[in-house]
Amino acid sequence: MLIDINAYVGHWPFMQLKYNTCEALGQRMDRFGVDVSLISNLNGIFYKNTQSANKELYEEIKASKRYRDRFVPFAVINPIYAGWQYDLEECVRKFGMKGIRVYPKYHDYEINDPSLIELVKKARDMNLPVAFNYKMVDSRQRSWMDIDYVAYTPRPEWTLKNIFPIIKEVPDARYMILNVTNSMQLNEADAALFNKANVLMDTSGRTLTDMGSLLKTQGKERFAFGTHSPILDYLTGMLRIEALRENEADAATKELLRSGNAKKFLGL
Amino acid sequence: MKDVMKYRKIDAYGNAYADDKLAAGQIAYADRLGIERLILSVPVAKQMGKTPVEFKAYNDLVILAVKRYPHRLAGQLTLHPAYLKESLEEIKRCTGEGMTGMKLYNQFKINDPVVYPVIEQFIHYKMIIHVHGESQLGVGGYRMKYDVDNTPAISVPEDFMDIAKRYPEAMFQYAHIGGGGDWEYACKSFRGYPNIYVDTGGSNNDENMVDFAVENLGEDRVFFGCDSSFYQGVGKVLASGLTEIQKRKIFFDNYNNILKRSGCGLG
Repeated sequence: MLIDINAYVGHWPFMQLKYNTCEALGQRMDRFGVDVSLISNLNGIFYKNTQSANKELYEEIKASKRYRDRFVPFAVINPIYAGWQYDLEECVRKFGMKGIRVYPKYHDYEINDPSLIELVKKARDMNLPVAFNYKMVDSRQRSWMDIDYVAYTPRPEWTLKNIFPIIKEVPDARYMILNVTNSMQLNEADAALFNKANVLMDTSGRTLTDMGSLLKTQGKERFAFGTHSPILDYLTGMLRIEALRENEADAATKELLRSGNAKKFLGL
Repeated sequence: MKDVMKYRKIDAYGNAYADDKLAAGQIAYADRLGIERLILSVPVAKQMGKTPVEFKAYNDLVILAVKRYPHRLAGQLTLHPAYLKESLEEIKRCTGEGMTGMKLYNQFKINDPVVYPVIEQFIHYKMIIHVHGESQLGVGGYRMKYDVDNTPAISVPEDFMDIAKRYPEAMFQYAHIGGGGDWEYACKSFRGYPNIYVDTGGSNNDENMVDFAVENLGEDRVFFGCDSSFYQGVGKVLASGLTEIQKRKIFFDNYNNILKRSGCGLG
C-alpha cells in the first residue's frame, strides 16, 4: 500500500500546473499505484481568507465517494487572520479535515509568532498534526512576484533551523516536515530535542539523497512517502524508497515508508 | 523498479570528483537506477579552471576516472579559451585519450569571440560542446536586481542562440534545465535552434519539465541528465507523459546518436 503524505490540488499563480484537481490526481495515483493521498488546497497559500480554499477543497472532495475514500484533506490555516479558531473547528468538525498546513513565509509571520504557538497548541490538544515545509518552489527560478527568500542571497531559503523554534516551543505537538530541500543540521542540544519530537518527514525533498544513512540517524519511523505533487514530479519520492538496498531497508522498513508510518502517525 | 531498469540510460551530465571514494559513490547511485554510462567532466564550481595547469589537472582526473571505470564513464575535457595554444593542445591530447566532448563553465560567455577557435575544433571532431547555462532571476538571467553571486560571464539562453546561429554545424548542450533556471524560458528560447540540445539534469524536478522540453524542442533534442541528482533525474523522465519510444530516446538514444557522430557511440 502507498500513502502520499504531501500532495495538493489548486493553482500556483506563477506557473501552470498539471494534475491539480482531485480527478487528475486520482488518475496519477491509479497510474503509479498510490492508494491514499493527504491533500490540501494550494489556493489557501494565496487567499487572504484561507477558509475559502478549505471550503473549495471540501466541496471538491464531497462531490464523489471515490474522492472521499482516497483523499485525506488538510486545512490551510493562517493564525494571524481573523476567525482562524472558528475556521479550524469548522474544518475538523464539518469538513472532516485531519491536519493543518501552515505557511509562515507566505502568510508573513515569524516561526515564533504567538499566534502560531497558540495554533500549534490548539492542534496538539485536538490531536491534529501540523505540517510545515522548507519551501514550495525552487527559489532560483521563482517568479518575481513570489516571496523573496532566495537561495545564495542574504535572505536564503529555509533550513530545519528555521522550523525548529516552533518544535522547541511546543515539543509535544505532532509535526510533519515536508519537501526537505536544504540542511537538516541542528546544534547538538536542538538535535537531541528534534530526535525526541513526534515528527514525520516526507520523501519528496532533494536533501534526502542518502536515505540509507538518514534511516539510521533519524530513525525509520520518521519518514513516509510523499510527492509534493503537482509541483514536483510524481515518482522521485517513490524512487528514494524503492531504490534502497536490502542492507539499508528491509521489506518491513520499506512498508513503513510506503504506508505504515503514515497510517500510524495519522491514525488512519 | 522494473520500469526504472527497463530503459538503457546515459547520464549526459555527470559530475566528476576528487577521489576514488566519491567515484565509487556515483557509480553506486548509477547502479541503483540502471544508469549505464555517465558523461563526466570536472568544472563544477564557479571559480575552477583558471589556468592551463589547473584545467590540465582536471582533465587528468577525468582520464584517470574513465580508465578506472571504462564501461561506466566517458569523459568531457575542459579548458580555458583565453589560453588558446594550451587549449588546442589539450583538445588534441584529451580526444586522443578517448574523451567525447567538452564542458565549459563560466570563464567566458559561449558567444564570446575568444571561444570561436575552440568551437571550430569541436565542429571538426563532431563532438558536442556542453556549457553551463542559467536563466533565472539574478545575474545569470533576467531581473538583475537579485544578485545571486554569479559571474556576469555565465552564459544565458540568448548567448546560446547567438552562437548556435553563428555555427549551425556545431552542437551545443545547454546544461541542466533542472539546475535552478527557468526551464520554460530556456526551452522556449531554443525552439528554432536545431543545434541546441538540453539535458534534464539538476536538483529541480518540477512536474511537466520534461514534457515541456519535448513539446518545445522535439523528442530528439532532450537528453537525460542528473548532475548528481540521480533520483530526480530518473523520476522526472519516468513520471512524464512521454511515450515509450520518447522515453527511450531521452534516456539513451538521443545522446548515443551524438556520440555516434564522432565514432564513440555505445552498441
